[in-house]
Amino acid sequence: MKVNTWMPAPLRGLSPSQRGALLAFVASIIILIAGGIYRPGLLQPTSIANLLLLASFIGLAAAGQTFVILIGGIDLSIPGIMTAMGILLTTRSLGQDARAWWVVPLVLVVGLGVGAVNGLGIVLFDIPPVVMTLGMNGIMGGAVLGLTNGFTCAECNSVAPPSVQTLITGQLIPGVPNGLLLWLAIAILVGLVLGFATFGRRVYALGNNATASYLAGVNVRRVTVAVYALSGLFAAIAGIAFTAFSTTATLAMGDPYLFQSIAAVVIGGASILGGRGIYWGTVAGAIFLIVLQAFVFEFNVPEATRSIASGVVILAALLLYGRETREV
Amino acid sequence: MSIAAQRTSVRIATGDRLRFYSTQNVPLLLSLGLLVAMIVLYVILFVAKQGHAPGSFEFVTTVNNTMSVGLASVGQTLVVLTGGIDLSVGGIVDLTNSLAATMMANNPGSMLLISLLVLLVGAGAGLLNGLLVAFGRLQPIVVTLATLAIWQGVALFVLPQPGGTIPNDFSNLLTGTVPALGNLPCGIIVLLLLIALWQVLRRTLFLVALYAIGNDERAARANGTPILLAKVGAYTLGGAFSGAAGLYFAAFTTSGDATSGTPLTLTSIAAVVLGGISLFGGRGSAVGALAGAFILTLLLSNLFFAGVNPQLQDLFSGLFLILAVVASTLVGRLLQRTRRSAG
Repeated sequence: MKVNTWMPAPLRGLSPSQRGALLAFVASIIILIAGGIYRPGLLQPTSIANLLLLASFIGLAAAGQTFVILIGGIDLSIPGIMTAMGILLTTRSLGQDARAWWVVPLVLVVGLGVGAVNGLGIVLFDIPPVVMTLGMNGIMGGAVLGLTNGFTCAECNSVAPPSVQTLITGQLIPGVPNGLLLWLAIAILVGLVLGFATFGRRVYALGNNATASYLAGVNVRRVTVAVYALSGLFAAIAGIAFTAFSTTATLAMGDPYLFQSIAAVVIGGASILGGRGIYWGTVAGAIFLIVLQAFVFEFNVPEATRSIASGVVILAALLLYGRETREV
Repeated sequence: MSIAAQRTSVRIATGDRLRFYSTQNVPLLLSLGLLVAMIVLYVILFVAKQGHAPGSFEFVTTVNNTMSVGLASVGQTLVVLTGGIDLSVGGIVDLTNSLAATMMANNPGSMLLISLLVLLVGAGAGLLNGLLVAFGRLQPIVVTLATLAIWQGVALFVLPQPGGTIPNDFSNLLTGTVPALGNLPCGIIVLLLLIALWQVLRRTLFLVALYAIGNDERAARANGTPILLAKVGAYTLGGAFSGAAGLYFAAFTTSGDATSGTPLTLTSIAAVVLGGISLFGGRGSAVGALAGAFILTLLLSNLFFAGVNPQLQDLFSGLFLILAVVASTLVGRLLQRTRRSAG
């Protein structure tokens, strides 16, 4: 067993995913402070709260991606589901609070259902997750375009109901958007489920060795379907939250979240092969991505730089803690 | 079967040979069958809609529409054979497409030089992927996701606004027709060259190594296959094919666009899947991927002629992709069952 002698002593006791999470948190803070030296506005509490709120949308979408990547799969349908569920919210609720009480649960159930279909296709027909979720992404995008007639329908201009908007942008605690509290609650819940619940342990078992967990009595198919269903549910939550934040839903609003949801998980120290990773790492990864964006934005460098920077950061994160052990 | 028995059966009768070939290549034959079905459907729908048979214009358009996806999907095949996946295809196409459109001048020397340069840039981008995957011991899906973002960004620096020009002569060379051969589309010549190249390539030790890695990396390593070099080679050559796709797309549209390649990541994977190439690695042929690329183009044409709302295109493409995989899984299970009951 290789001992990481180059590492400072306190870090050696941590698991690779804990180190990843810690590193992403520290890096976010360093970038934020570095940016704050030149643009003190970045360090204002309102600006930080805003950045965290933006990070929460990545974090919510990536919660499902974390589960999926932990079992060794991947979900490329998150952007399609996010967009479709955001548009479902606005076009069904018509911006009325009176309709919100049934539309929001409807959106969540549809998101869960779409995710479950992903899972069923994967376990029943052995469809590779990449293909299944890629196809589903196309289906979602096409369904939205077709059903709203190219987003020209009468209801398409509707906004999110005010109560749903308050749920994200209101401030129960002054200075802290409610969306952050929601994210914190979900992060704690996901952390507990992954760390302590039987289901969470099964997710790790499945990701480490599907055959061994099957032999140990884990219902592999059921866990897989549940994980993809959860991913659909979280994509729906992210869709609702982002729609509430920007008040309207737009076509392709979910598209950036394909790259970002995977990037957040990877930067957070999870293994793309499955079986290793924690949600707090994903949280740190999401914050890191947004802070990096803000930094690039503040210094007026071309948009293209952001794309290059996030690519380089992912490679750096991978080289730091994503390397596989050498085969003998 | 004992080794002695295998030795004696070196000479195989033609009928047996055909049977062996067809049982070994079920996914490829399925995708070729699907291609034929799509062509027949296309002709029927076209005649029903237009009242006359599709002519050379439709032929040339279909071929030109398909060949950049076709080139990219051959590159994708090489990577998928090793059990990897290349998500950076779109970014490499973006970059090479922008480079070709900004740099190519209207003289033969420049055309040749810039074409070579573009292929080299593609190969270089692929080389980076390969080094990171093989020597960096990183997972292909995340490495190529990261390089996708990088090349997309670099492409925007090369060509911030859609524009640039491709000389007409160059465009005609790749996407025109050859009057001497009965107005044969140049794209078909590119296609035939690709198939010929593949027939040579698949007999090389390099491709044998890729199949070996995809089937069982450990066993391949134990047999002394140079795993790292073969992987680097697969990604590098794959990048060069993406570069060729970017060049072809520039010739087709006679201009450049730093975001034009982005859809090719997904369509190249879809073509590979429809071509019967296993995403788990080790199985499949680039000929299948080329068939898959044509199936995708014809599917869109057929949906159009069938009067399907164009807004629903993505929905049907997605559904079709999933159903094609389900169908091939079911056929595979059926064959396994009949083989088991026969043996």
